[in-house]
Amino acid sequence: MDLAVYDLKLHKGRFIATIIGVGLLFTIVLAMNGLYRGNIYEGTAIIKATNPDLWVVERNGAGPFNESSTMPEFYHYSVKAIPGVEQASSFIFYTVERQIRGQSKHFSIVGYDVFAGLGGPQKIFQGRGIQQAHYEMVAHVKLGVRLGDKIPLGLHTFTVVGLTKEAVAPDGEALVYLSLPDAQEILYQKDNEEVRNQRARLLRTLSAQSYLSPSLSEKLAPRLQPDTHIINAILVRLQPGADRATVARLIESWLYFSVYTTEEEMQLTLKGRLASMTKQLLLFRILLLIISVVIVSLVIYTFTMEKIRSIAVMKLIGAPNRVIVRMVMEQSLLLTVSAFIFGLVLIQNTYHLFPKVILRVAGDDLITFIVALLGGILASLLGLWQALKTQPAMALGGQ
Amino acid sequence: MEVLRIEGLTKIFGSGRLEVRALEDIHLTVSAGDLVALLGPSGSGKTTMLLCTSLILEPTQGKIVFDGETIYQKNGWAGVDIRRIRREKMGFIFQSHNLIPFLTARQNVLFPLSLVGIKGEAAEHRVRELLDYMEIGDRADYLPALLSGGEQQRVAIARALGNNPKLLLADEPTASLDTVRGKKVMEMLKKIAKENQSAVIVVTHDVRMIEGFDYVYQLKDGRLNQGN
Repeated sequence: MDLAVYDLKLHKGRFIATIIGVGLLFTIVLAMNGLYRGNIYEGTAIIKATNPDLWVVERNGAGPFNESSTMPEFYHYSVKAIPGVEQASSFIFYTVERQIRGQSKHFSIVGYDVFAGLGGPQKIFQGRGIQQAHYEMVAHVKLGVRLGDKIPLGLHTFTVVGLTKEAVAPDGEALVYLSLPDAQEILYQKDNEEVRNQRARLLRTLSAQSYLSPSLSEKLAPRLQPDTHIINAILVRLQPGADRATVARLIESWLYFSVYTTEEEMQLTLKGRLASMTKQLLLFRILLLIISVVIVSLVIYTFTMEKIRSIAVMKLIGAPNRVIVRMVMEQSLLLTVSAFIFGLVLIQNTYHLFPKVILRVAGDDLITFIVALLGGILASLLGLWQALKTQPAMALGGQ
Repeated sequence: MEVLRIEGLTKIFGSGRLEVRALEDIHLTVSAGDLVALLGPSGSGKTTMLLCTSLILEPTQGKIVFDGETIYQKNGWAGVDIRRIRREKMGFIFQSHNLIPFLTARQNVLFPLSLVGIKGEAAEHRVRELLDYMEIGDRADYLPALLSGGEQQRVAIARALGNNPKLLLADEPTASLDTVRGKKVMEMLKKIAKENQSAVIVVTHDVRMIEGFDYVYQLKDGRLNQGN
């Protein structure tokens, strides 16, 4: 005789309400599992999509994604000259906030050597890759642009020639691919007023030097404008058979840069900018699971307390403890499993609506289910303790 | 045939200046088919007597022999599974019926049968038989909350009879019923004692209800005196 089910049938309103409440908590736990995976996926997506053999960045830095890295552009020639290097391409990456189709959009720009090939989008979902040196762009579909759209960025207007679904920026926002000079210009090129102001300031500084004549100062000023040929990294493709470690050591010791493999670059990002978010999500997941267990525990305790006299009667008429234990634990597990299924169905049907990527992994669901099940058993302990210490005398009105 | 023998039963609560002698040197023998009434005012020790007889409360001294088996003696419980004895050989009827509220009348009677391993069609047949015997068969699928007090008590009696008990213990079975229904319940208990050959002990404070009982005992200050 399934006492747990008969009892729940009588209290089905409260049972269903509890399933929905705890189920929503499980939905959040499962969403956070996906968010955790999505955070890692998005955080490393550009690294995996770019996937050069080596990333050359500023000395003692962990750039270009984990921290800023700046280096003169011409160094890619030096890198290319290292034995074992087949190809070396300049790479620039930065985040901007601009008006796109009338809306303020936060996105990241990748500038790459369009003709050397490294650093660009690997798979074009719609349209084509960049084929001209200027004024063409490939954007991630998340940006909300269409093929042929004209997008003003900086001093120029760019045409969307391709759409990609491949990589996003480490913060989950859309990526926009531009040719390297275009990306550098957007980042470093000042507007005309700023250029004039800067030149005037420089002229004043030069004029103050007694050893420079005014005419020489005027000639020098345009030549002393800030250099815009700055990049963040050099991407390296090795020659077939070249030893990665040897090439990396040569670049580090000859050119005074730091060199990472794609795997090392991913680890830098995981342990750097993604680490605190990952820990935070783990903490939230643990807290939510504990809250779920506490709620189930209190509900089961209330259910048990409500039938404490019935339990006393059961004991008086000789019901063994296992009958009572089964009833309490079965209710706890039914509640936990039903709530988990509710949460699973809900997240399965809504995960695509979340603004950040919720990456669903069956293994995570299974582990969460096992933890929830153990939590369900744990939650029944309070009710069980109360049930087992109930004296049969209570049924007779004594003790 | 002797069902229950109690010899020199004493129950003391507390010690020293706080000592309370709830039962003092009780002797009682009940045989199959006996209908016994235990009368007494509040605080006389009726409930303690019932708790000791139903093997819930451990006495301080004395001896309890049930169905030929020594259950309690000087050194304590005699190593028997007392919950099994209650399950297989005793039946209980309570003042407030104490039906399990989430089970129907039929399921309430079925539950103790399932505990003693009677299942399937045999159990269903026995349940129908008991509910019909208690004239409540037409209310079998009702939850206790939908039954009247008298109907609930008849279901409770049917539940108590499921295992053909050697000893039926009734704690104030008529207290929550009116006189007519109370007398009807007492008539049923008499019928059970005679037809089932169960020993029936009824604890009550209502002397109007004990007409026709085989033995009437009076408990006063923990001591048992035979009334008639």
